[in-house]
Parts: sequence; C-alpha cells; structure tokens
Amino acid sequence: MSSLFDKYAPLKTRVDMMMKIGQDALGVQFDDILDATRGRIGNREILLAGTNNYLGLTFDEDCMEAAKRAVESHGTGTTGSRVANGSYAEHIDLEKALADHLGMPSCIVFTTGYQTNLAAIAGLAGDKDVIFMDADAHACIIDGTRLTGASTIRFRHNSPEDLDKRLQRRGEIEGGNALVVIEGMYSMFGDIAPVDEFVDVTHRHGGYLYIDEAHSYGVFGPNGCGIAEEQGVLDKIDFISGTFSKSLASVGGFCASRHKEFEITRKIMRPYMFTASATPSNIAAARAAVEKVKTGGHLRSNLKERAEQLHTGLKEMGYDLCAEASPVIAVRRPNEAVAAMEWNWLIENGVYVNLAVPPGTPQSSSLLRISLSAAHTEENINTILKAFGELKNAQGEMMQNMAAKLAAE
Amino acid sequence: MTSSPNSDEIFAKVCELLKPYNPQNRPIYRESGIMSDLEVDSVAVFDLVMGLEDHYDISIPMEMVSDIKTVGELVNAIKELTSE
Repeated sequence: MSSLFDKYAPLKTRVDMMMKIGQDALGVQFDDILDATRGRIGNREILLAGTNNYLGLTFDEDCMEAAKRAVESHGTGTTGSRVANGSYAEHIDLEKALADHLGMPSCIVFTTGYQTNLAAIAGLAGDKDVIFMDADAHACIIDGTRLTGASTIRFRHNSPEDLDKRLQRRGEIEGGNALVVIEGMYSMFGDIAPVDEFVDVTHRHGGYLYIDEAHSYGVFGPNGCGIAEEQGVLDKIDFISGTFSKSLASVGGFCASRHKEFEITRKIMRPYMFTASATPSNIAAARAAVEKVKTGGHLRSNLKERAEQLHTGLKEMGYDLCAEASPVIAVRRPNEAVAAMEWNWLIENGVYVNLAVPPGTPQSSSLLRISLSAAHTEENINTILKAFGELKNAQGEMMQNMAAKLAAE
Repeated sequence: MTSSPNSDEIFAKVCELLKPYNPQNRPIYRESGIMSDLEVDSVAVFDLVMGLEDHYDISIPMEMVSDIKTVGELVNAIKELTSE
C-alpha cells in the first residue's frame, strides 16, 4: 500500500543530498540574534547578510520602545480577527499613517505580508476579470490568483512590451477588467521593474496596476515610498502593497489604493476576515518604523553605498551576478549541489546568506542570495567580500569534500 | 487565413519547446506526465506555456495549465484553442 508521503520521494532525495553536503539551509537555527546584523550559532558569531532587514530597524530604540508600550497598554495578542474582535487604535493609526505617507485615500493592514497579496488580489479580481501577472511574481501573488475565479495570464518578466502584446491578444474583457500585477524590486535577483512603462501600458488598455513593493518600500524613493515613487509615478498606481517584515522591522503587511472604493474589500477578503489581526506590539513597531522611513534618507544612502561596494567587489572577483547593484545581490552558481556546498562553507566561516533554489528562483537558477542592511558597515561588506574571495580559493578542497560526502552512505 | 495545426504538428512543437527543460533527454510521449515523469518544475511549465502562447498566438490561462498533467493533454488544449 502506498503512503501519503510517497509523492515527496523526489523532494526527499534532494533534501537528503543537501543534508549529506552539510546542514539544512532552509532550517537554520540561531541560538541568539545580537542585533540587526549579528547572530550567534553555538559559540560562533555570524554576520547576517540574508535577513531582508533593509533599514536595520529591528533593534531601533524607538521601534522597540513603541512595541513595549503597546504590550503594556493593550496586551500581548488580539485573540481574533478585526471583524469579530474589532480593530485596536494601533491598527487604525497605522492605516492612516501609511495612507498619508503614500498619498492615497485608502489603506488596509494585514497580519502578514503573504496574506496581504493573497487577500487583496483575491478580493479585487472577480470571475469576469483577467489577471496579468509578471512571470517572476512571488508565491503569494500566484496563490492570490488561485483564490480567485479570474483567469490569469503570465507575461514575460519586466517586459511592458510583452504585457502589451498579451493584453492585445486577450482582447476585450467582457463584463470585467484587467488587473496587472508586478513587483517593485524582485526578491530573488534584486532587479527593478520599469514601473513607469507598466503604468502606461496598463492604463492604455484600461486596466488597473497593482504593485507589490514588499522589498522596495522604505528602500527607494525620496520619501521611501518605493520604486513607483522613485520613478515619479506613485500617484498613478492603483494598488500598492507592502510588508512590515522587511524595512518596517516587524510582521504584517498593507495594501493602499488611490481608489477609496477599495474599502469595500474589507467585507469580502477571507485572509483578512478569517485570521487573527496583528498584535498591538507588531503594529506599534511598524508604526514607529514608518516615521523612520519618512526621515530615512541617510539609511537609504548608506544602503545604496554598501550595495554598490559589494556589487563592485563581487564583480571584480568574477562572480556572475543576476542584476545591477541593489540591496539584494544574487550570485548565480552552476547547480544546486555546488550552491549548497558553498552556502555551508560561508556559514561555517561566519557569513549567513540565503541558499535559493528552483522552483523558488527564476530561470531554474541556484543562487547564493545576499540581502543588505543600512546597518551594515563598510567593514561588514569587506568581511563578506573576504569570505567570497576565500570561497573561490577553497573550491578544490570543497569539491573533494563534497564528492566524499556524496559517495558516503 | 492559415489553417489550424493538427495534433501531430502541435505534439512535435511541444516536444521541441520541452527540450531545454528536459536536460536528461527522457523520451517524451503523449502519456508522459510533464511534472511527474519529465520532472519539469512548476515554474518551468509556465515558461514552456508562454513559448507556446507566442508560437500559436493564443492565451493559455494559468488555471487551465494547472489542470493539464500530461503532454497529450497540453496538445489537446492547444488544438482546441487554435481551432476557435
């Protein structure tokens, strides 16, 4: 008789191979987190270069103080959803602050970033609408489309021309609308969307543009509003979503709109209605971080400098990088086994990056993905560069070790 | 106006476009499961579909792709869409 888990046999083979090479890259256990850029495993201090902590605010005194005050005033949890238990003053205040920051009349906050796109996309697209989604869209966007009755068409990554072609090919959408979904900065390669061109194409076809700025809110734009602001088209974006778990140093997410009618979706979005609302402390920390984003020009400028420093350094060493300099720098490796082996070598030598493998990556690529923080110093980047330099020199020895480990039972 | 392609022509095209996603050169039959037998990952399947959409100038929505398990089912779906 077959087992319920038989279908995972090919996956188990991959995981077993990784475990032979070293530790589970997707299940790292830190014994301590010391600050925004340092962790500890056993007695080893680890430089954190894969935590999406773009502005380095997780240990910011004002953000921590706001979270502590919220716990003291309103307790540890909300024990239910906003439709059942009501909204706390913190939820409302944060929605107003984000709407104001983005210059939009409506903003809704959610419990996680994943749920944000799940809820908003499923809430916006109905049976007669058609979603046009960038080919490299995040899993939560894909999953959001699956919760709808809308037809979904994928277009080539970062190509407004390809979107134009597919909108044209699909023709008139009888009784419905086109909802185009893109991201600002893409999480795996760190490449940036030509949002201004997407605005033109989408609106020329009468569609609505939805942009996920999870990795770009706080990081780009003169006021930190994201890529749309950086490219001067923020006021033309129909829907803009983001997360609290990156620049805003907390957990949760938001979706804002220039259409005040967006408010009606609070009554139908299942991942909003049927889940517990974010805790007062999470919301209060994010609220304090929004103020840091507004005045965070110095953080953004350090982040940019560090990204350029690392990008230039890795390029000079001959590493194959997936995009221009940005806070996400992805180093392309020849295959999963080599990437896993190198990831292990890096963490053993005190640098934590992400191991990213298919199908979670574009072009079936295997990556050592680095995400930088405004809290990283020039010296921190030199440490990362030194590790990647030594990694190159250690290739021969590593290959021998890997062959021995894979051959061993 | 050009006539719509027949099933064998579509099967040949699918096999051709599947090549880059089938590095182990597994034999491709109509009964082959695209993900289960050929081990093409979920994202690569959607990339393959984009190529077919462009070649035949049709829209194959993602929800339709999710229901397609075998090469033959993909061929049939394209046949239907090109006949419309």
